[in-house]
Amino acid sequence: MSPTTPDRPPVFKHWRTWYWLVLGVLAIQILVYSWLTRLFL
Amino acid sequence: MNTLDWCILFGTLLSIVLYGTWKTRGNKNIDGYLKGDNSMRWWMMGVSIMATQASAITFLSTPGQAIEDGMRFLQFYFGLPIAMVIISITMVPIYYKLKVFTAYEYLESRFDLKTRLLAAILFLILRGLSAGITLFAPALVLSTILGWPTPFTTMLIGGFVIIYVTAGGTKAVSLTQRQQMAVIMGGMILAGILAYTMLPKQVSFTDTVKLAGSLGRMNIINTEFNLNDRYNIWSGLIAGTFLFLSYFGTDQSQVSRYLTGTSITESRLGLIFNGLLKIPMQFMILFIGVLVFVFYLFNQPPVFHNVVLKERAMQTPQGRQLQAYEQQYDVLYAEKRQSVDRLVEAIHHDDDAQVNVLKEEVKGLEARERVLRDSVRATIATAVPGAKVQDRDYIFLNFVLQHLPNGIIGLLLAVIFSAAMSSMAGELNALASTTTVDIYKRSLKAEASAKHYLRASQGFTVLWALLAMVFAMLATFAENLIQFVNIVGSLFYGTILGIFLTAFYLKRVQANAVFWAAIIAEGVVLFCYYSFREEIAFLLYNVIGCGVVIILSLIFQVFAKRTHSA
Repeated sequence: MSPTTPDRPPVFKHWRTWYWLVLGVLAIQILVYSWLTRLFL
Repeated sequence: MNTLDWCILFGTLLSIVLYGTWKTRGNKNIDGYLKGDNSMRWWMMGVSIMATQASAITFLSTPGQAIEDGMRFLQFYFGLPIAMVIISITMVPIYYKLKVFTAYEYLESRFDLKTRLLAAILFLILRGLSAGITLFAPALVLSTILGWPTPFTTMLIGGFVIIYVTAGGTKAVSLTQRQQMAVIMGGMILAGILAYTMLPKQVSFTDTVKLAGSLGRMNIINTEFNLNDRYNIWSGLIAGTFLFLSYFGTDQSQVSRYLTGTSITESRLGLIFNGLLKIPMQFMILFIGVLVFVFYLFNQPPVFHNVVLKERAMQTPQGRQLQAYEQQYDVLYAEKRQSVDRLVEAIHHDDDAQVNVLKEEVKGLEARERVLRDSVRATIATAVPGAKVQDRDYIFLNFVLQHLPNGIIGLLLAVIFSAAMSSMAGELNALASTTTVDIYKRSLKAEASAKHYLRASQGFTVLWALLAMVFAMLATFAENLIQFVNIVGSLFYGTILGIFLTAFYLKRVQANAVFWAAIIAEGVVLFCYYSFREEIAFLLYNVIGCGVVIILSLIFQVFAKRTHSA
C-alpha cells in the first residue's frame, strides 16, 4: 500500500462513472435474461 | 480414465503447486505472508476474488442445478454488482486508511476489543465450517468416482494446498489462482462445446435452446415476489445484496484478496472486474448444465448418477428391486426419446400447437421419471444405510467420465481439483490471518519478532487445514452442498454485516450497544432457522440478522444515553 499513490480511476474522470457502468451492465443483463426467459419459455 | 488422463491431471496439479511454491518462497514477515507486500495489480486481484468464491462445489453442483431446476439460480448473483459498488465506495477507503491486515481490526478502532473479537470469532466459525465443506464436496465426489478412499482424496487436496500456502502465503494463493482459473475456464468451456457437438446433427443451437426452454430450463428470471421462493429476482437483488455485502465486505477470505493491492485504485478496479464478470461466468456454467440436459434428452442418462453407490446397492437384497426399476426406466426413456424427437420436428416446422402438446407430454414423462428416481433413491438408502442418496453433485462429473474423450477427462478432473484448491487456499490464508492478527497477536502474544509472527501464521495455516480435513472426513450430512454452504453463510453473515454497517453509518452507536445487539441478533437468526426453516428463504437470514443488529443497536444506545444522563 502506498499512501502517496493518488486514487485516480483509469479511463474515466470519476469513480462514479465506473460505478454507473457496473450498475448499467447489471440492468442490461437483467433485461437480456428477461427477454431470453420470455423468448424460450 | 487412461494414462493420458492421469498425466494431464497430475501434471497440471503438480506444475501449479510447484510453480506457486517456488515463485513465492522466502517470506520474511507477516506483511509479505498475509498481504503479499501489497504488490497485486487489479486484474490479479479480480481473478483471485473470483477464484476464492468459485469453489469445486460451484463446478460440481451448478451444472447439476441447471439440469434439474433450470437456470433460475443465476438470480442469486444479481446483488453482487451492487455490493461491489457499495464496498468500493465505503469499505475499501476505510480499510486502506487504517492500513489493516483484517477487516475486524477496524472494529476495535471504531468500537472496542470485544466487538472485534466477536466478529472475528463469528468469522472463524463460519469460515472454518465452510472450509471443511469446500474440501469435503470434491473429496467425496472424486473418491466415489475414482474408487479411492475419501480420506485419501481429502488429504491429497488438503496436502497440495498446505504446501504452497504455507510456503508462499497470500502471494502464492493469488499466483496459483490465476493458473487454476485458466484451467477451470478452459476446461468448462471445452466441456460445453463438446456437449453441444455430441448432439444429433439435426439439432441446431437454436433447437437446443428452444428444447431447453420448452422444458422449463431457460427459466432465468422470475419476477414473482414470494418469500418462500429461494431464487427470484427480488431475493437476488435485495437479500443477495446483503449476502454479498457481508461476504465481500466483511469476510476476511475476500477482504484479504483486495487488501493485497498496490493502491486503493487497484483494489476498486479488482472489485469492479468481479462485478462485471461474475454473472456472465455463472451464466456460462449454468448454460453448460443446460447443454448437458439437452444431451441427456438424446442419450440415456443413468437412473442414479452416483454409479458406484448404485453398484454397491445392486449387491444387496434390494438389487432385484433396483434392476426392476432400471427396466422401467429404460422403457420410460425410450418413450421420452420418441416424444423429444417429435418435439424437435414440431420446432423445425414452427408448429406452436404441436410444440405445446408435445412439451406437456415430455414434462409428464419427466414427472414420471422423477417419481421413479425417488423410488431408486429410497431403495438405495435402504440397501446402503447412511449413504448420501442425493446424486445432483455427480451428474456433471458422471457426464464427463462417461461421454468425454480421454485427455479431456483428465483436464476436467484437474478443473475440480483446481477449484477446490483455489478456494481452500484463500480460506486458509484468511483463517490464518484472522487467528494471528485478531486473536494471537492482539490478545495472547503482543510483543514478538516479525519472524515469530510469520511462523505463527504458517502454523495456523497448517492447523486450519488439518481441522478442515478432519471436518471434511466427518461431514456426511449435507444433501445439496452448494446450498448448505450458502445457508451456513446466511446464518452468520447478517450479524457480521450489521456490526459493520452500524460502524460505518451510525456514528452515535457505541461499543456496548452494538455488541449486545449482535449477540441477540445471532440468537434470533438461529431461532428463526430452527423454528421457521420452511417458511423463510435462507437468503433472508442476512436481512434479518443485519436488521436486528442495527435496530437493537439504536435502541440500546438510546437507553444507554438515558441511563448515563440520569
